[in-house]
Order: sequence, then structure tokens, then C-alpha cells
Amino acid sequence: MPIVINLDVMMARRKMSLNELSGKVDMALANLSILKTGKAKAIRFSTLEALCKALECQPGDLLEYTDS
Amino acid sequence: MAYKTKTRTEQILKILNILAWLAFTGFMIEAGSIVVSYIVSIINPMAAQKMYKALNLESLKQFSLMHYTIHVSFMVLLPLLKSLVWFMAIKAISKLNMKNPFKMEVALQLEAISYVLLGTWIIVMLNTAHTEWLIKNTGEKLVNGDSGEFIFAAGLVFIISQVFKRGVEIQRENELTV
Repeated sequence: MPIVINLDVMMARRKMSLNELSGKVDMALANLSILKTGKAKAIRFSTLEALCKALECQPGDLLEYTDS
Repeated sequence: MAYKTKTRTEQILKILNILAWLAFTGFMIEAGSIVVSYIVSIINPMAAQKMYKALNLESLKQFSLMHYTIHVSFMVLLPLLKSLVWFMAIKAISKLNMKNPFKMEVALQLEAISYVLLGTWIIVMLNTAHTEWLIKNTGEKLVNGDSGEFIFAAGLVFIISQVFKRGVEIQRENELTV
């Protein structure tokens, strides 16, 4: 898929673990893992909003379009 | 209300499973009876007079053993294919879970059923052609089967299997929506 989720990059920048993020955004580890590994087919605005809030970033920091 | 519907669907599936087993067993018995009748008729020529369901094929046997064998083979093949369809239906029903119905296994099983039904239709068509040829050449009073129902069922089951496949894709997408 040409849309890449840079969740791991943002987590590294904020020095935040998956467990910590899971607690902050109130999401299951399994769902965050789906996002992190790029298996996700879609993302809800509410999830994106929660992630942006927890990681103090913009949606563009999490999502990237690659022409490949 | 939802609970009642769920219970009713599960009950229907259970009844369908029992009916499918009955149909499968019945068609297997029919095929077996014809095979036994055929073997007995080869050993004892008089047996061709009273075959399965009091079918009299003695004159056909006297006309040609080859055509008699072909005709009996079609008579065996049809219940065998029907029982195969029912067995595949049993397998599909057993894999069906109403809580999570869209499974690729069920979709593939339904698609396979449609192919077997298509094959059955071809066999019935061949049988019809052969029977018509026999009626024309021997004047024998033979019964011709109807093939229309098989192609209709094959088409219908194939469409259902494709809808099921799309259902599996949508369910997978839904599961992978975070």
C-alpha cells in the first residue's frame, strides 16, 4: 500500500513505548501493533485524533504517501 | 428479538444439517443399489428385468451390453454426484458460525459446490443425449432427467459464493480498521 504509517518513528522521537501509548490513547496493544506493522486497511479519525494528541504531532507526521 | 432470530437460524441450520445427512445417505444407498443390481444383472441376466425401482432394462441389455453399461453408469453417477453435493453442503454447514459467518473456507466450499453442480448438469445433458439416442434406435421406454435445475442451482450457488467472498473481504477490512 502506498500509504505508510510512521507510528514507530514518532514513538521513537517521543521516546514512548507501545504500552505507554496504548494506555494514553486507550487502545488495545493488538490494534496498535496492526497500525505499527502496516497491516491496517483503514484508520478512524477518532484514532488519528487520539494518536496525534498523545504523540503531540500532526496527522501528516504519522501518515506518508510513497509512490512505490 | 435478535436473540430469537439467532436461535431460529441456528435451529434451521441444525435441521438442515440433519436433512443434508439424510439426503447424502439416501443418494449413496441409491447409487449402491444400482451398482449391486448391475453386478447381479451381469451374473444373472433375468435380474435386468427388475432393477432398482422395478426398472426393466432387459431389452436394452440384449440390444447392447456397452449401451446398457453406459446407461447404468449414468444412473450411478447422478446419485453419486448428488450425494457429493450434499456432503460438501454438510461440510459448509459445519464450518458456518453465525457469530462470524464470513469465512474464506465456506466461500471456497460454496464455489466448489457450484462447480460440482455444473459437472452434474453436464453429466445429465450427456445422459439425456444418450437416452434420446437409445429411444430413437431401440424404441425403449426410458425416462429422461431434467437438467435445467442443475444449471440454475450451479449459477445460484456460484453467485452466493462470490457474495460470500466479498463478505470475507469486507469483514477482513473491518477487522483491520483501527
